[in-house]
Amino acid sequence: MLNEERIVLMTHMASYENGEGKKNVKIGNYFRSDYIAVQVLKSVVCGTIAYAVVFALYIFCDFETFMQDLYKVDLLAFAKNILIYYGIFMAVYAVLTYAVCTYRYAKAKKNLKNYYHNLKKLNSFYNEQK
Amino acid sequence: MTVLLEIKEKLKLIYSKYEAFILPVAKFLLAFIVLNTLNGRMGYMTKLDNIAVVLIVSLMCSFLPTGCLILFGALFSLLHMYALSLEVLLVGFCVYLVMFLLYFRFTPKDSLVVILMPLLFAMKIPYVLPIAVGLLCGPASVISVGCGVAVHYLFQTVSANASAINTMGEAESSAKIRLMIDGIIGNRGMIVVIAAFAITVIVVYLIRRMSIDYAWTIAMVAGAMTNIVILLVGDLIYDTNISVVGTLLGSVLAVIVAKIIEFFRFCVDYSRTEKVQFEDDEYYYYVKAVPKMSVAMSTKTVKKINSQRVKSGTSMQRNGAPAGRGTSSQYRGQNEGSTGRSVITERTGSASRSAYGNSGRAAGRGSGKSVTIGTTTADAPQGTSDDYEELF
Repeated sequence: MLNEERIVLMTHMASYENGEGKKNVKIGNYFRSDYIAVQVLKSVVCGTIAYAVVFALYIFCDFETFMQDLYKVDLLAFAKNILIYYGIFMAVYAVLTYAVCTYRYAKAKKNLKNYYHNLKKLNSFYNEQK
Repeated sequence: MTVLLEIKEKLKLIYSKYEAFILPVAKFLLAFIVLNTLNGRMGYMTKLDNIAVVLIVSLMCSFLPTGCLILFGALFSLLHMYALSLEVLLVGFCVYLVMFLLYFRFTPKDSLVVILMPLLFAMKIPYVLPIAVGLLCGPASVISVGCGVAVHYLFQTVSANASAINTMGEAESSAKIRLMIDGIIGNRGMIVVIAAFAITVIVVYLIRRMSIDYAWTIAMVAGAMTNIVILLVGDLIYDTNISVVGTLLGSVLAVIVAKIIEFFRFCVDYSRTEKVQFEDDEYYYYVKAVPKMSVAMSTKTVKKINSQRVKSGTSMQRNGAPAGRGTSSQYRGQNEGSTGRSVITERTGSASRSAYGNSGRAAGRGSGKSVTIGTTTADAPQGTSDDYEELF
């Protein structure tokens, strides 16, 4: 005999497994601190590349002037400025990443908890049938 | 309204039934329109500006994931830029790379907005997107909308400076890059449009989340008005040459499209709103429940009148459901030689609104019935039965 409630539950769970569940299981495999640390590290790498790209464009944009002024400007002060901007940019980006990842981890854990609860419920349906 | 709701249910039923065909066709059409528009706007590489290439790539996009459409769109635009100049390609690639590294790495789904925005700009209806995004997505999609606007202005800068870049020599690489970057960053029109669209998305999102009647309608109208006001004020301050009539008409169209989205996504009946109040040990609860508008689709009834011989001993037969849906049971008269009556009850699909939003399941869970009543005569010769079918 078909149990409609069980079928609805299984449909929900299958839908979750195929969609959001995959990502959530990946996130759920990490401890909270590990997940956030890995994501922030990735962000630092990506942010550094993005910053380097923008900096390279800035240099290329006015390459001739830059080369002419290269010996006139205080290179140490210039590098210091670049590093300060880089530090500010990375700090803001890392904080944003931290906030997003914390929210995502909490959400994934909540969804997984709900999923495991549904698994138990499904198991109880089968036990009742036996 | 009932007719519209019935049409909506029918559309949902058709979509759930033919989803496997509709989705690839829709992807194909979107890819075809996007790539054709891109070729129309840029078209510097003549090999790409070819209908056969566009058709082949669109066909590929029809069965590949949606992300591939974005990839092909980016690839097409970069190749056109390369045909114009290597420096333009460099700037375009850097813009895409920075967008991907800083934002779309987190939300790859939102990248579709970046493709749709230049397309809607080309169709002169970009005002639809911020309102639609505000209604359907979260506040973080502001960045996607901003990136979409930036990509549109990147294409515009390339198109506007194409002749100047062509006249420049190979030695003027930095001048070409400067021209491109100044064209993008120094474009005040872009800043105004990004600001207007970002504020519109946030206004629409905040209002549609409010617990007020007709929140979605208020949100879309407020969003459209905010958009118009900011664009016009920006035009006055920075002289961005925004068409007032175009903005007004575009905003009206945006509200119409938003109403269509609302009809399919958030169709509720505020006249039947219920407000209840209760409490438990820890809290007082003030609950406002707004029922969804739904209508049962008209069902197809099949009446069969059969005249046939019944074998003795056949008291009851149970048949399988036709076309694999529902159940069917048949009861026949018990005595041979007498006039029997056979009744077939079939369950046919009818659209009933599903709280889970899974329209696929609704197809097999209808409550409609079709009744077949047959008259059987024992004396009638075999093979001379008269069958009638009435459909209404």
